[in-house]
Amino acid sequence: MDERIQDIYLSNKSAKDQWMNFLKKRGIGNFAENETKFIEQTIGIFADDGSLIATGSLANNVIKYVAVCDLGAQSKGARFNKIISELESRLALLDRFHYFVFTKPEYQLSFEYVGFRTLAATEFGVILEKGTPNITEYLAKIPRFDNGKVASIVMNANPFTNGHRYLVEKAAKENEHVYVFVVSQDSSLFKTSERFELVKKGTADLKNVTVVSGGDYMVSFVSFPSYFIKNADEIIKYQTMLDARIFKTQIIQPLRITSRYLGSEPLSHTTNLYNDALTQELSDKIDVVIVDRLQIDKEVVSATKVRRAIAENKINQCLEYIPKTTATYILENLEELQLRIKKGQKIDGN
Amino acid sequence: MEIKKTAIAGTLESSDVQIMLSAGTNGFEFELESDVAKQFGDQIKETISNVLGMYDIKDAKIKVVDKGALDLVIKARAIAAVQRALDIVDAPKWEVL
Repeated sequence: MDERIQDIYLSNKSAKDQWMNFLKKRGIGNFAENETKFIEQTIGIFADDGSLIATGSLANNVIKYVAVCDLGAQSKGARFNKIISELESRLALLDRFHYFVFTKPEYQLSFEYVGFRTLAATEFGVILEKGTPNITEYLAKIPRFDNGKVASIVMNANPFTNGHRYLVEKAAKENEHVYVFVVSQDSSLFKTSERFELVKKGTADLKNVTVVSGGDYMVSFVSFPSYFIKNADEIIKYQTMLDARIFKTQIIQPLRITSRYLGSEPLSHTTNLYNDALTQELSDKIDVVIVDRLQIDKEVVSATKVRRAIAENKINQCLEYIPKTTATYILENLEELQLRIKKGQKIDGN
Repeated sequence: MEIKKTAIAGTLESSDVQIMLSAGTNGFEFELESDVAKQFGDQIKETISNVLGMYDIKDAKIKVVDKGALDLVIKARAIAAVQRALDIVDAPKWEVL
C-alpha cells in the first residue's frame, strides 16, 4: 500500500469531522478555540478506503495534534516517523528550525526516538524540543557568574514600573548577581524589544544586574498547548508545573542560580496559582523569595494600571508608578501606543 | 566556506537519515541520535565530516537522526544539506558530486 501524505483542510467540515473523530478515538478531545485557531497546516495519511490513519499539525513553531494508528503499518512507528518528517520539512520551508512538542507522557519516547529532547515532564504532559538554537545554545550566550549568590527574576514588564524596579533592587541588595529574564513573547501592548529596552534602561545603574531575553524558554505559561488534557482544572496545574520544571531542570544549574524572586499577587488568581506552583517545585533546590508588592498611597503598583492610564490618556496620574526612563518612552510614543490599543491590543491580563 | 543559513535534509523513515546543519564557531559539533550509535557513530560522523570538508566548511553544528541509513545515503543527504546551507542548490559544486 502506498501511504501518501495529504493535506487536510480543516475549513472543510467533513474533513474536520473525520480528523476530530480520529483524534478523539485516540484520547485527544480538546478542540478549544485557543488550541485550534493557530493551526496553520494539518497533514494526514489515508488508507485505501479513505479512512484516516495518521495525522499531525503545525502552529507557529509547535507540532501538535499528532496521532497515529499502527494497524497494518509496515512497522511500528513507521507512520509516526513519516508524519514528523513531513512536518519538519514543512517547518524548514517556513525557515523554522527550532520547534517544540507538547504531548502526553506516553509519547515522550517516540519523540525522543526521532531526535527530540525532553525539556521538562509532568504527570499530565511533557515538553520536548528539536533543532537549533536549542536550550544549550541559548544558555551558552548568557554570561555566567562563578561565585556568590545568584538571584533570578522573570518578568514580562509591560511596561517596566517602579514595582519591577523595587523587586530588582531588593534582589540586587541581597545577592552578588541578579539575572532578570524578560519574557520574549510578542503579545503585549509593549513589544518585546521595547519591554527589553525599558528593563535595561530602568536597571542600568544597578551594576550587578544582568538583563537577558527569556528566549523560547521563559514564555507565558498560558500559551503552553494543552489540547491533550480534558479536565480544565488540570490544564492550569499542568501549565504552571511545566513552566516551573523547565526553569528547574534546564536553567538553574547551568547558571548557578540560587534564588528566584517573585512579586506577591494580590490581584490575579492565575498568577497566584503560578506563584504556588513555583514555590512548590523550586523550594527544594533554590530559595523562593516572595516579595510584597510595592504600594504607593495604599495602591499596589501594577503595569495594568499604567496601561489603563495610557488608554484613558491620563498618564500624569501614573507617573509615580514608573521610573523616568519608562515615562519618557511612553510620552514620546503615546500616540503609537494608543493606536495599538485602538486597533484591538488587549491591555488587561499580562 | 561559511554556512549561511540553517538547513535540513533527509527524513526519519527507516533506512534514511535526517541531517540539520547550522552555523558554528567551534569546529564540527555533532549531536547524533541512532540505534547503532555505539557501533557506527564514528563512521556516520566521519562520512558527514568528509562531505563538509569537500565544501571547505570548517565550523558547523550538525544534528543527525539516523534510522539505519547506508553510507551512500548518509553522503547524499549530507550533500543536500550542505548545498541548502550554503545556498548553492541552483549551482551545485560538480567536482564534489
